[in-house]
Amino acid sequence: MATIELRKVEKKFGTAYAVEPMDLTINHGEFVVLLGPSGCGKTTTLRMISGLETVSGGHIYLDGRDVTWLHPSDRDTAFVFQLFALYPHLTVRQNIAFPLQAQHESPETITKRVAETVELLKIGDLLNQRPGNLSGGDRQRVALARALVRHPAAFLMDEPLGALDADFRETMRAEIKRLHIEQNATTVYVTHDQIEAMAMADKIVVMSNAVVQHIGSPAEVYHNPSNLFVAAFIGSPGMNLMAGHFANQTVHFSDENSFKPPKEWNSALQVGLPSEGEVIVGFRPEVARLSDKGALVGDVYAVDIHGSYSVLHVKLAGSKDELGIVHLRADRRTSHPIGAKVSFDLDPEMVRFFNPQTEAAIRRENA
Amino acid sequence: MSKSRRPNRWRLGDRAILNLFIWPTLILLIAFNFFPLFYSLFLAFTKYSAIGRAAPLFIWFDNFQTILQDENMWNHFATSGRFVLASVGLETIIGFTLAMLVRQKFRGSGLITTLILVPMMLSPVVVGLFWKVPMYDPSFGYFNYLIGFPRPASGPDMIASSFARDSVPGLALWAVVIVDVWMWTPFVMLLVLSGLNAIPDYLYEAAAIDRASSWFQFWRITLPQVAPLLLIAVLFRTIEAFKSFDLVMGMTGGGPGDQTELIAVSLYKKAFQGSWLTGYSSALAYIILIIIIAVSNVYIKYLNQIKGEA
Amino acid sequence: MARFEDMGPASPVVESIRVDMVNPTARLLGKIRAAIAVALATILLIPVYVMIVTSIKSYNDVVAIPPKLVFEPTMQGFVFLFSERAVLSKAQLEEYQKNPGELDFIGQLALEAGQQVTGPSDYVGRLKNSLIIAGVSTVLSVVLGFFAAYAFSRFNVPGKNDLLFFILSTRMLPAVVVTIPLFLMYRTLRLHDTHLGMILLYTVFNLSFSVWLLKGFIDEIPREYEDAALVDGYSRLEAFFKIVLPQSVTGLAATTVFCLIFAWNEYAFSLMLTSEKARTAPPSIATMLGRGVVEWQAIAAGSVLFLIPVVVITFALRKYLLRGVTFGAIRQ
Repeated sequence: MATIELRKVEKKFGTAYAVEPMDLTINHGEFVVLLGPSGCGKTTTLRMISGLETVSGGHIYLDGRDVTWLHPSDRDTAFVFQLFALYPHLTVRQNIAFPLQAQHESPETITKRVAETVELLKIGDLLNQRPGNLSGGDRQRVALARALVRHPAAFLMDEPLGALDADFRETMRAEIKRLHIEQNATTVYVTHDQIEAMAMADKIVVMSNAVVQHIGSPAEVYHNPSNLFVAAFIGSPGMNLMAGHFANQTVHFSDENSFKPPKEWNSALQVGLPSEGEVIVGFRPEVARLSDKGALVGDVYAVDIHGSYSVLHVKLAGSKDELGIVHLRADRRTSHPIGAKVSFDLDPEMVRFFNPQTEAAIRRENA
Repeated sequence: MSKSRRPNRWRLGDRAILNLFIWPTLILLIAFNFFPLFYSLFLAFTKYSAIGRAAPLFIWFDNFQTILQDENMWNHFATSGRFVLASVGLETIIGFTLAMLVRQKFRGSGLITTLILVPMMLSPVVVGLFWKVPMYDPSFGYFNYLIGFPRPASGPDMIASSFARDSVPGLALWAVVIVDVWMWTPFVMLLVLSGLNAIPDYLYEAAAIDRASSWFQFWRITLPQVAPLLLIAVLFRTIEAFKSFDLVMGMTGGGPGDQTELIAVSLYKKAFQGSWLTGYSSALAYIILIIIIAVSNVYIKYLNQIKGEA
Repeated sequence: MARFEDMGPASPVVESIRVDMVNPTARLLGKIRAAIAVALATILLIPVYVMIVTSIKSYNDVVAIPPKLVFEPTMQGFVFLFSERAVLSKAQLEEYQKNPGELDFIGQLALEAGQQVTGPSDYVGRLKNSLIIAGVSTVLSVVLGFFAAYAFSRFNVPGKNDLLFFILSTRMLPAVVVTIPLFLMYRTLRLHDTHLGMILLYTVFNLSFSVWLLKGFIDEIPREYEDAALVDGYSRLEAFFKIVLPQSVTGLAATTVFCLIFAWNEYAFSLMLTSEKARTAPPSIATMLGRGVVEWQAIAAGSVLFLIPVVVITFALRKYLLRGVTFGAIRQ
């Protein structure tokens, strides 16, 4: 298992950046997820690490070795494709054995390792089939086996669950995570599904439009997003973002609604906001505390019942359009008919602020 | 199989679609082939001449017997066989090679590919005429000139099967083969290229990561994926090569002697020259048909086998 | 020692390419492939070049020994293609040479060859017939063939293999044999020398190839795409048009080109089943036996002109012909 380091790695097509220069360190045994919407550059980054794509600049290191210009097969990485990429005219056993044969391992080693891997992934009864006859899930298991059998230094996975049915995805997600833990394998995993990323990752790299937005653990990325994009992208639903005006230590959303930030934020807000005092306040649905005498008021617009809790869509008083709708989590025992008035407070520990112009989060420490 | 959906929305069930899609084609084919096929079949068992006064006279298998006992006929079949083997073989190899060369895009590859298709777009009769004189003529043709024989008496005369006035039997057949290959290699190339372009990149990427040899990539990835289309191309070329008529008639008329008399030419001569032996030529046509059916069956079985494995 | 593995290429790589394809050896191999392809293409095109060149030579230049590589281009071939001419007697020739002023450009050309223009040839009319007959029959055979190919590919048609073989077999009989029965049939049905008759005939000929080729392409499209659409609530027809059709573009383009080429260049049946009204161009190009000699320059000119529409259409379709089916582009 190995460490992977990207230094100033970038990719351009012509003059346009597909990946802006980025630095990233992946530690030994870490499960790192590259997360972002389509076209953000995450797959390109993964392919550069594997060698399926050349870098336009920068260097890639595997265990301290500069592998930037090495043949993909010399980098000691294995790649799992979204569409499996199994050799259609070989049987499952031949598919799995193939990487070892290509490396000229002895027949004994090959047999032993294939057996081990097959056992691990429980695909023993598929060995003599051709990939064309298998279900999606089985094909992905075979693809995983083919990657595992090499005992590579790192696993690179490109949306491996994207082509599977939803229910199957959850099962495979758990299997991949289990494999990762058992093998203590350094893994780089690409997905656009933030739920998947939050569930599996040790470290998430959020990307958008060729730029890295935030590198952090799931908790960091969830509770302290570095900018508006990350705040909105992570979480389902994403963070509530309300535009307001900060003056005299109060944020005014409208005539009816205003909010007093906790004391320790004031100095950071004075410094971090643009001169007119425009601010965006962010909070997650579970951060809202419904109460009769809450500081913020609004009307219930819609209710989603999730069983153990409900999500209220509340239109804030004084806001004119959908921008004023926030999502609040409510206890399942209370009922909230449509049109009813609700009021709520925000947990002072968990509320966040953003600069509307730079879109960056304001840190409490910025004083 | 009809889905009973919302009744106020008109939807066609699978069965209806199946019929709607297939029947027009079948009807057209049956209408236009029924009468000719069966009438020819009938005539094959008769003694009849289209320009004669007498009505067809039923003579059972006499025509077939005459044909199968005629040594010249066997010769012509053999000539056709050699022609088909040489042309289709060369077309397949060169066409496949061209497709492999052109699939990796380089500057101008699109243009080159389109240009290569041009020979196929010419009318076979005109091609035959054209190669006969402005190309192959030993005096003012370009062929001899370009391969290094500017003086008429010193070089080959392809059409006349001779080289510097010495007879080289079979040369004329090669002349025809060259032209057929020239015309139809683009056909094979285009179909193979379409097949090659359909192979997903990620198969080759996986192979790169596994450090698969070029041989493995060709044998286990490229060839199996392209095989169905390649076989279709070869199948159709084989059928057409057996039936080849326009080109040969334009170029050699079957000569010199009967060196290039392919069976379709034989057929034409028996049917439309001399005494117009319509019954006899219908029988000959059915023999040809049977041969083509037999050969096609082999191809098709192989094609289905390959598809079954994929 | 600066190896490629250590140094990388000289300038930044700004295209999408694998690392093992960007080293000097791989680049060199790429160049060699291109060179061989160009060489083969050139050899293949020499006769075409000869044909084009012949079309702009005068008759005498065409039959010169050894073949002339340098000559004075002339429009003689094209002019002769479009005109009927009569050979002038010696006396007439002298007379024209004394009073050349009345003749236009075309007349002058004819005079140089010792001939006089007597009227237009029927080439243009034939060309029009070719356009109509080949165009309509191509469209019909591709469309009908596409529907049938889809049905054969996706449905359990009873007797599928036999039906497919029957369709194939319609193309197996040599044309020469089917001629007499077809001639009789057409005479009876009053389809002889009609556009409709020829259109139907060419459609039928091309259908077998069209069905087989398109089925080959449709077979390659994974069924999962349509199944997903059906699950999403689309009808079979909608799935057909929204999913199978776009992915079949390459197959449709290739089939169109081939069917068009066949119908366009067909000679034997056109000769036998038409006379004046519906005859297409190939029979007339081939029989340009002029005033005593085979007018190669006119034949070449006719071939070149006849070639152009097909080349134009193929060139227009080349994007579809040469593109691949993208399997991997499942973007959410």
